Amino acid sequence: MVDVSPELSDESLVKAALAGDDTSFARLVCKHKRRVFGLAARFARNGDELEDICQETFIKVYEKLSTFRNEAPFENWLSRIAVRVCHDALRSRRHEKHQLNVDLYEIDVRDVAGESRQEVRQAREFLRFAMSKLSADEQLVITLLELEELSVRETAEYTGWSEANVKVRAFRARHALKKIVEEHDGRKFR
Amino acid sequence: MAENSDERLSRLFAAARDERIDTTAAEAYFETRLLGRICELRETSEPWYAAAWRMLPAFATVAAVVAVCTVTFNPSRSSDLFSAIGAGQDEAVSSFLTRE
Repeated sequence: MVDVSPELSDESLVKAALAGDDTSFARLVCKHKRRVFGLAARFARNGDELEDICQETFIKVYEKLSTFRNEAPFENWLSRIAVRVCHDALRSRRHEKHQLNVDLYEIDVRDVAGESRQEVRQAREFLRFAMSKLSADEQLVITLLELEELSVRETAEYTGWSEANVKVRAFRARHALKKIVEEHDGRKFR
Repeated sequence: MAENSDERLSRLFAAARDERIDTTAAEAYFETRLLGRICELRETSEPWYAAAWRMLPAFATVAAVVAVCTVTFNPSRSSDLFSAIGAGQDEAVSSFLTRE
C-alpha cells in the first residue's frame, strides 16, 4: 500500500498528479478512499459492486483532475463525483428484478425473533428491501439525508439538484417508504 | 397509524445509521488495482486516426448536402440564348456569343 505523508496537502498532490506523477495520485487515493468506500457501501449490494463504484469514482477523478479548482476542499469535489457514480449505479438497476425478497426476510423473522441484535439486523434488511422498491432518485436522497445525515444544502451540492428539489424528493421518498412499511407492517416487521 | 409508520421509519433509519460497514478488506491494495486499471485504459485509448474514421459518416453527410445544394441552386447551362439571358447565366451568354 502507498504510504501517506501527513504533510502533503491535497493541492500539492493534485499538482504532482497532473504533472504525471502516478505515486502522488495513488497517495491522493489512499488519503480519501475511506470516505468513498463508506459512501459507496451504502449503495453497493456486494463486494464486487463496491469495488466497481469506487474504481469508477477514482477513474473519473483521474480524468477530470485538471478541472479541479482549489475553491472548495478536494473532499467535497470527490464526494460530488462519488455521489454521481452511485446514482448512476442505482439507475442502472432500474430494469433488474428486485433481488431482496421479503419472503426470505419473513423466514429470518421467525428464526431469530426475540434477539435484539438480530432485530437490528432484520430492521436493516427490511430497510434495504423497502429502499429497493424506490426509484434511484428517492434512494439517493434518503441515503444522503437519513443515513449519511447530510444537510439539505450538502445533499443539493452533491447531487446538483436545487435545495427545493431535494426537499420535494425527500418528502416523496419518505411517503413512499412509509407506504411500504405500512403494507408490510402487520405481518412482517415487528 | 401515520405517526406509527413515522416512528417505525425513524427506527429503521437509526438501525441503518448505526451499521458500521467494515470496508477495510475491500480497501486493501485498492490504489494498486486502480493504477493497474488506469494503465490499462491508457494503453487501450484509441489513436487520433481512429477518431477520424469515426467521423466518416459526418463527412459523407456534409458531402452529400453540398452536392444536393450545388445541383439545386446552380442549374445546368441553358442552350437557348434568351432563356440564358433571363436566368442571368452570363457564362452561357458569353460562350454563345463567342461561339466557344
